[in-house]
Amino acid sequence: MGYSLTTLWYERQRYFPAILAVGFSSLLGCLQFGLLLGLFAIVSIPIDNSRADIWLGAPQALSVDLGRPIRESQAVDRLASNPEVDRCETYLQGFAYWAKPNGGMELCMVMGCRLDDSSLGRIKQLTPELHHQLTEPGSIVVDESDLSRLGLKNIGDTAEIVGNRVRVVGLTKGVKSLAGPYVMCSVTTARSLLRLMPEQITYVLGKCHDPADAPKVVARLRAQHGTDISVFAADEFSFRSRWHWLTKTKAGFALGYAAVLGLLVGAVVTSQTLYAATAASLREFAVLRAMGIPRWRMSVMVMTQASWVGVVGVLLSFPAIYGLSKVADIYGVQVLLDWRMVASVSGITLVMAVLSGLYALRSLKYVEPALLLR
Amino acid sequence: MSNPRYFCGSLNQSSGVIERLYNEGEPLRLGETIMQADNLTRGFGTGSQFTLAVDHVSLEVLSGQFVLIMGPSGSGKSTMLAILSGLLKPDSGSVYCLGENIWSLTDIEREQFRLDHCGFIFQGYNLFSALSARQQLEMVATWGNHFSQQEARLRADGLLERLGLGGKGHLRPSELSGGEKQRVAIGRALIKNPNLLFADEPTSALDWTHGEEVVKLLRHLTREEGATVVCVTHDPRLVPFADRVFHMEDGHLVRQSYGYMSHPEEAVLPLPEPGEILPGPGDVVTFRPRIAP
Ligand SMILES: Nc1ncnc2c1ncn2[C@@H]1O[C@H](COP(=O)(O)OP(=O)(O)OP(=O)(O)O)[C@@H](O)[C@H]1O
Ligand SMILES: [Mg+2]
Repeated sequence: MGYSLTTLWYERQRYFPAILAVGFSSLLGCLQFGLLLGLFAIVSIPIDNSRADIWLGAPQALSVDLGRPIRESQAVDRLASNPEVDRCETYLQGFAYWAKPNGGMELCMVMGCRLDDSSLGRIKQLTPELHHQLTEPGSIVVDESDLSRLGLKNIGDTAEIVGNRVRVVGLTKGVKSLAGPYVMCSVTTARSLLRLMPEQITYVLGKCHDPADAPKVVARLRAQHGTDISVFAADEFSFRSRWHWLTKTKAGFALGYAAVLGLLVGAVVTSQTLYAATAASLREFAVLRAMGIPRWRMSVMVMTQASWVGVVGVLLSFPAIYGLSKVADIYGVQVLLDWRMVASVSGITLVMAVLSGLYALRSLKYVEPALLLR
Repeated sequence: MSNPRYFCGSLNQSSGVIERLYNEGEPLRLGETIMQADNLTRGFGTGSQFTLAVDHVSLEVLSGQFVLIMGPSGSGKSTMLAILSGLLKPDSGSVYCLGENIWSLTDIEREQFRLDHCGFIFQGYNLFSALSARQQLEMVATWGNHFSQQEARLRADGLLERLGLGGKGHLRPSELSGGEKQRVAIGRALIKNPNLLFADEPTSALDWTHGEEVVKLLRHLTREEGATVVCVTHDPRLVPFADRVFHMEDGHLVRQSYGYMSHPEEAVLPLPEPGEILPGPGDVVTFRPRIAP
């Protein structure tokens, strides 16, 4: 390891292209997946912008927007029975069909939360002025950017959601939508829009005395109820929801394909660089072979070099990734650098570097001590 | 061949003193056969391109000797050295080295043999440009499983000191003179204290001041530490330092002589007749008392 690192540093100019290529692969992967995660962060808006620590819903909840009905009393009991949990509240969310005033249908995402000031499920974009107006049944708030998509012109316009008349009483700012515009309303309104029974809700939200206890409570609930429920800490559910969309929609696949191409370029450059570097030391290695030093020692050295190229390349890519994500932010594009995503991309890039080291090992085949005696 | 006694040299690591031992634990006596080559032949190429680089050569090397292989360019010296040291397989003939018929060993056994017994100095320095002088030595000592990291470092520093490179262990090849680089290469060959040291033109890249230093060092090694050195050269200035000189021409061993130091008149020894059995290890007749330099 010492010799590899020393060589890498001393001949840094030779190894630089490989390090650059590795860094580029890592950068490309992280930014692409970050962009996609940022895009799908729209799915997790209800989680990321509300104050709940714990989300409890129907079994096998894949994503927050795909929640199915559960029985309110039982679910609340289960969550509230944990001493760490300060309070619980009900929350409803689901897709519904929106009939535009002048004809045509649109899918929309109904969010029904409690309306008091300390509400857990209320997203922060739903300001107090707005949510106070939602108490009247049938009143809703939508985002200003969705007005035309919903066939609306002004506050006060009406439309229908599965046969229920709704009236827009206010507009939010910055609640983007993906599959269908978000429609915010009270729990009661949501229940009728989503055609749920009086006892049915989608999620129970919990707030802990100490938010740090959330994972502990989640683990306990999972142990107690197993597959009867799904329960997640908020950040976990948020990632799960985005990840589900990333993988389900094949958008992840498309970007993944580009990222794989980036990896391939990195692999070719790295293996060629390592190959050339090893080939340049052929005579030195041959001396060692003559003295009976086993070939695997040299292989280990090349592999260690490959690993270092990987580690250095990945580490150098981090500041660049961070910088570029900030630049994207300035232009209103969210690049979400989730640590799990960054860790996976970095890990894969490292594996790529090590594998290209494996490929460079073939140059050691030409290490032939007899060639020194000419 | 009359059941020759061969020896297994190994290194006494515990005492820290350089000792060469029989496999029974007795010291390897100087002046006994350490290497015996019989009827070695090696050709290269096919058809009209065929050259016989080594043509039915037999020779014997005694332990503790400084032996030269000399001859004009293309006479097969390097090829001979490669065969003797277990690097290049002969087409026919055998090499007994420290009791092993090295060309009947498997590749892995032969590699282990080289690891245990052989050091090499090649033309050109062949040093890793990124590594310091000390690291070049340490690398062989640790990778060959001879020493731990600390021991290797101690030995490397000690050896560099003895080679006149004390205080230069941290320098890289680019920061060393040619003579110093060659001494590092020698240090690398010596770090595991080999019984046999093979050198191909170790002085050809050096001016004579530095070349002479290197030769004296090799000679010193045989005198003080009982190592056996086989050295290929075309430089006659090395002859005075040698115990024995093998002269090659066109792949043949044409003559063998004493070095001037061991025998001032450079007495010419009779060549063995083809097929004649070389003197056995018991007959020390071929080895005359050395005259101190
Ligand atoms: N790998 C090889 N392939 C073909 N021919 C070879 C090979 N190695 C050596 N030879 C030939 O064998 C002959 C002896 O070569 P060798 O290298 O042993 O000579 P040498 O005495 O060491 O010469 P020099 O003093 O120039 O180093 C030469 O004619 C050379 O061309
Ligand atoms: Mg030669």
